[in-house]
Amino acid sequence: MTNLDAAATRWGQSGRITLFLRDGADPQDIAQLRVVLEGLADVSEVTHVTPAQARESFLEEADVGADLSKLPSEVFPASLEVALVQGVTRERSESIAMRLTQFRAVSDVESYGRWFQKLDHLLWGARMLAGGLALLVMFCVVAVIGNTIRLAVARRRQEIEVMKLCGATNGFVRGPFVLEGMFQGFASALLAVLSLLVGYLVLHDSVDSTLAALTGSKVVFLGAWTVVALLVGGAVIGAIGSAVSVRRYLAV
Amino acid sequence: MQGTKVVRPFPFFRAGARASQPQLSKPILVLEDVYKFFRPDQPTLRGVDLSVERGEFAFITGPSGAGKSTLLKLIYRELRVDEGRVLFCGRDIGRLTDKSIPFLRRNLGVVFQDFRIIDHWTVFENVAVALEIVSMPQRLIRSRVAEALERVGLAGRGPEQTSNLSGGEKQRVAVARAIVPEPALILADEPTGNLDPHLAIDILTLFEEINSTGTTVLFATHDRSLISKRDHRLISIDDGRVSEAQQGLKHWQGSSGIHTLVSSAWGRRCSA
Repeated sequence: MTNLDAAATRWGQSGRITLFLRDGADPQDIAQLRVVLEGLADVSEVTHVTPAQARESFLEEADVGADLSKLPSEVFPASLEVALVQGVTRERSESIAMRLTQFRAVSDVESYGRWFQKLDHLLWGARMLAGGLALLVMFCVVAVIGNTIRLAVARRRQEIEVMKLCGATNGFVRGPFVLEGMFQGFASALLAVLSLLVGYLVLHDSVDSTLAALTGSKVVFLGAWTVVALLVGGAVIGAIGSAVSVRRYLAV
Repeated sequence: MQGTKVVRPFPFFRAGARASQPQLSKPILVLEDVYKFFRPDQPTLRGVDLSVERGEFAFITGPSGAGKSTLLKLIYRELRVDEGRVLFCGRDIGRLTDKSIPFLRRNLGVVFQDFRIIDHWTVFENVAVALEIVSMPQRLIRSRVAEALERVGLAGRGPEQTSNLSGGEKQRVAVARAIVPEPALILADEPTGNLDPHLAIDILTLFEEINSTGTTVLFATHDRSLISKRDHRLISIDDGRVSEAQQGLKHWQGSSGIHTLVSSAWGRRCSA
């Protein structure tokens, strides 16, 4: 979830606009347009791509299995590649693109909004899947921890019975079990976080070079507060599980 | 063995409370018209009236299923009376709240047929648990446990693992656990049921020694040979009803009365 969120944020803020220029556009208009663009605070870089450069770049990157070298240069219109500064929202990017269509030299503007929308949907699906899996795992964890504690408490049923018959209060009997459950829950959560950390350290280099190239963001480990929340959550689940499991044996 | 009888002032039902002088002069345990039902039409105990004086030793006897254990469970409040009253030191046990029950039990020592000691604990730990629950200082716990172990004939055996002990020794540990908080009343539910006859006599003698220091003992058993060896008061339960004799079974041999009653009750159960 952390990495999907990071990818979504990065995609949302990595703005890029392509201005396709009219055939035979006045070089002065293009230069003027370029000056206007470079004057905008949201723009970090403007690159002029000629039809020949566009063709060359396409031939380098395309891998469709057919000989495309015969394609004429006219198929590839000249363009201005506008890179926006990091942090520009998608709405702002759309607004800039809308205004640029009014320039004479511009025939068409591509702000990649539809692409980002599709990627958003993809990310939403991935988030839902990750959320569902997290819920499933959490239910399994609660069930496993609950049953483990219940078995541990059941094994010590006789101790509870003896203490109760000697006059121990419920709090006295429950206390050590709750503490033990809390410790076990904390230790389990710590073990899980450490396992995740080991997995992260072993795999993040190879994942970064493949998946990150696709998503545009690097895989990151859980944040400090997430780790704290997981450890505290583990301890709380352990304590509650113990308290509930002991309760059934307190009626002596 | 008869020692000086000591009537201890004891805290009961809540931390720090002590029995008043008038309470000390009354019977320690009174059952008034007590009924206990496990099935609506068939009471396990029906109209039980009983009074036990301070420092008394009484056998509770009767065939299996007669209601001996039920009677004891009503006293240490594992069960609640359905009708009637159970008064311990003048307090109605049936009306105690769940939070008060631990304080009642701190004034009772309970010993069971199956010992109910923890095998993976040491002898010391098994006895000390009765004092640890009242948060007694460790130094005091050590001396009180050592004293209790000495009284039951297990002096110096504290560090031993309980699983290595014989049945008789395990029961002695259970007795030590029951007496270590110096309770006013000890309830023994068939404490000799799992022991050989000579060990049974040893354990009975142990309870008598405890009784000789002023602790009231209710000793439930269906072992006629054991009862016949002593002159203690005999409370017989059959079909949920109580009959009693102020002296032991051997005083009734060959005559009608409690012996006949007990024998016929057992005879009926055996033939059934």
